[in-house]
Amino acid sequence: MSHRASTTPRPNVAPGRAQFVDEMSIFLRAVDIELPGERAAFLAEVCGEDAALRSAIARLLKEHDREDHPLDRPIVRPDEADRSAEEFSGEATLRFAPPDVGETVGPYRLREKIGEGGFGLVYVADQLYPVRRRVALKIMRPGTETGETTARFEAERQALALMDHPNIARVFDAGATETGQQYFAMELVRGVALTAFCDGARLDVRGRLDLFVSICNAVQHAHQKGVVHRDLKPSNVLVTLQDGRPVPKVIDFGIVKAVGPKLTDQTIYTGFRAMVGTPAYMSPEQAEMSSEEVDTRSDVYSLGVLLYELLTGSTPFAGDRLREAGLIEFRRILLEEEPPRPSTRFSTLRMDLATTAAAHRRLEPARLASALRGDLDWVVMKALEKARGRRYPTAAALGEDVTRYIEGMPVEARPPSTAYRFSKFARRHKAVLGTATIVAAALVIGAGVSVWQAANARIAEGQARAAETLARAAESQARRSEAEADRSRDELEEFVDRLRRATDLLGKARALADAGDRAAALKAHDQATEAQPRYFLVWSERGLFFARLGLWDRAAADFARARDLGAPATGAEFLGVPQLFIYTNRSTEYREVARAMAAAEGRYEQTELRGRLAGPLSRSEAARLAVAAERLIEDDRSEDDRSDAGPESFDRRGRIPDGVKRYIAGWAYLRAGEPDRAIVRLEQAAADRRWYGYGIVSPLLALAYAEAGRPQAAAEAFEVAERTLDGYLADAAERAEGVPPMPWFDWVEFLLFHRTAVARFGSDRDDLEERLEALRRRTLDGLE
Amino acid sequence: MRVSDVTVVLQRIEAGDEAASADLLPLVYAELRRLARSRMRSEAAGHTLQPTALVHEAYLRLIGPEESAISGGWDGRGHFFAAAAEAMRRILIESARRRRSLKRGGDRDRRALGDPPEQEEDIDRLLDTDAALRKLESQDPDLAKLVELRFFAGLTVEEVAAALDLSPRTVKRRWAFARAWLGRELGSD
Repeated sequence: MSHRASTTPRPNVAPGRAQFVDEMSIFLRAVDIELPGERAAFLAEVCGEDAALRSAIARLLKEHDREDHPLDRPIVRPDEADRSAEEFSGEATLRFAPPDVGETVGPYRLREKIGEGGFGLVYVADQLYPVRRRVALKIMRPGTETGETTARFEAERQALALMDHPNIARVFDAGATETGQQYFAMELVRGVALTAFCDGARLDVRGRLDLFVSICNAVQHAHQKGVVHRDLKPSNVLVTLQDGRPVPKVIDFGIVKAVGPKLTDQTIYTGFRAMVGTPAYMSPEQAEMSSEEVDTRSDVYSLGVLLYELLTGSTPFAGDRLREAGLIEFRRILLEEEPPRPSTRFSTLRMDLATTAAAHRRLEPARLASALRGDLDWVVMKALEKARGRRYPTAAALGEDVTRYIEGMPVEARPPSTAYRFSKFARRHKAVLGTATIVAAALVIGAGVSVWQAANARIAEGQARAAETLARAAESQARRSEAEADRSRDELEEFVDRLRRATDLLGKARALADAGDRAAALKAHDQATEAQPRYFLVWSERGLFFARLGLWDRAAADFARARDLGAPATGAEFLGVPQLFIYTNRSTEYREVARAMAAAEGRYEQTELRGRLAGPLSRSEAARLAVAAERLIEDDRSEDDRSDAGPESFDRRGRIPDGVKRYIAGWAYLRAGEPDRAIVRLEQAAADRRWYGYGIVSPLLALAYAEAGRPQAAAEAFEVAERTLDGYLADAAERAEGVPPMPWFDWVEFLLFHRTAVARFGSDRDDLEERLEALRRRTLDGLE
Repeated sequence: MRVSDVTVVLQRIEAGDEAASADLLPLVYAELRRLARSRMRSEAAGHTLQPTALVHEAYLRLIGPEESAISGGWDGRGHFFAAAAEAMRRILIESARRRRSLKRGGDRDRRALGDPPEQEEDIDRLLDTDAALRKLESQDPDLAKLVELRFFAGLTVEEVAAALDLSPRTVKRRWAFARAWLGRELGSD
């Protein structure tokens, strides 16, 4: 507030309307001038002798450029848990105000918008300084995890600077505007997307393969510099004509990694379609979104898709359908379905499409099919192997094999052996094979035995016929599996439709629940489960809905179902679920989840820590969890000074409040048989009023005192626990939801601890279950 | 309140009935109050009130995606959001004042269990912004309206532009000035 005390007259203490209008017009003209020197000159000129006006404008401009402007912060810090509402209203996108043409971003003036994608907008822009040149400027939509994105962004821009290859668009600069929008300035490539170019220029197969080899070399160059593209697709390979020769340029190298949101299961919730960008070109391991780092072989897969499309005119799995598919189905297709070989794909294309595709390649359809059959088929299929170990190890190896094909040399890729093919076939058609194999085996064994037995010509003839029958059976089997593939494509379409409906219903259910209309929310949830019962989210969301109402059994049943369908056991969505399984005596489900959590060793967050602490645990395991919890406390300290977050259950970065960490550590010590240490942490946790569930510590503390041989303190703490419970029950009775105002997982943990404490200390209370049951009945009535 | 009330008022406004605007604010205000209260109650644990989401939610509830198509899309939306932004501002200021006096006055027992922790800073910021915005209002009521739409209803530049019947570029520039002006007024350097 320093300037209030200054002697400069404040122009807006009692400003006339004229002054206000002047200020606005000068300000608006001044902000159009980017160069600081020119701006100052302009101000000097318009303000003349009027020092007061000049300083008033200067302060406006200073405010204008301020990064931490009070009006930029939302009125109340949006909460992680409120994301559903945010999405529902589309607010996530509201924050991103795309700049207009004519504006400047950093040292770039925008000229023309040339593209828009899930990650941001692309403009043609003029760089104003230090050099003047025209560039392609990619402005990113702000991600949700800004801190992390920035770090990745920084790391990646270093790598990008190292790339220098004629077939890679150069990245000149990367930076962020004062409002935090990140941008990349890239070599402006006036080209056409790869496939469009090839079809438009009616490039023959040879011409296409030549282009493809150049692309492989470019990708190889980037890989050697440690940059993986992650989003290779025709629109990221632009073709220009240089001296009449087509030259491909790969754009957007490494940008997905630099600014793309991390692909996690959570992202299905925050706009799966936008995140994955182009599913048709995605490798199975990218689709799996496992913790396995995506590597260069993922690009090899995408190159395989590119080659497939260059040859046949379509991607191995129809792109538009994949794009619309839900995560689960999308993964299933990429991980399990074998794409048709290019030659097969081509011969099964609809006649009109086949003719177009052939015309684009300047070949008769029949000749194109035969050009594809054989070696080229195997090259493509090797690049498209599900297991990356079976793919070409490098982009260069793929390019070399294509070159071998061009030169008429034998290729490295081989048709898979019969045994290999059969094993794959068996995997895909387990059920069908059950009977088919038995029949076939009977025939073969029968035949073998007969040959061995007799030299009778008539029998031999019969065997020949049997062998023929077998061959025919195999052939029709193969035909049937193609028909099946077609059918599964139709099913996919149906699936996608249902998925879309389910997603809409989930959004609606959340909004209704937030608005307090629980009966209608439940109805929407039920409809979502009917619309797409194979989608785990419909179950876990309904489970969450029930859990928030304290309807534990229903919640647990839904979460169990979600887990069966592949819901990830780690991550914030499952916080509290294992505890719920324990509380509702679902030990089988608990064990399964706990195993999955234990497998995530080393990346412990509170979902895993609290989940595992609630169940059966050895002391040494508990001690390890205590170490992990202590580490969380440490992390927090190191972050304290740049903490911009108030006390909250979760802030946007998903940080856990200190009180919760101490509570987890205390709990872990108790389980590890170290009650004294437990008491230290639990007392700290109970004294910390900055988390909502601090009351839940009391029964745990009572147990810790008892364990430490302090019966007096234990009795007192248990007394507090009982009083806390009374308070919670009174709160719950007052609220329509029938639960106290705290996160549902805190409440279920409290009930768990309380149950344990009662078993230990005894209680004169005999109406707890009844009262909880009454609350549940009331809630259920409200849902009718 | 029934959904149709708001739709009817909006239709009257669109039909040129100037007086209808006066009827809109109380309706929207009541609905937002109701939503905010129910949300604060049910979400007291772990979640904070998010005005922008509330405004959009109120829109969906009062007008609904289907009805909005019938009642003329953006024209109606403009009036609605203008009313909603003003209503939201009032609700937030009332709530901030109430929380401020609660803090002075006690009622500590009710706070003991699970109430959201105070967000002192937010309250201050809100009240200061409101005061600064009132000054801006006295200079340029239209500009203040724009700020209300951006800040209290969380509309995008495009949405504000549609609501005020201005070009996005104009909105953006006017917002830049208002933002700088308010920042200076708030004296936060």
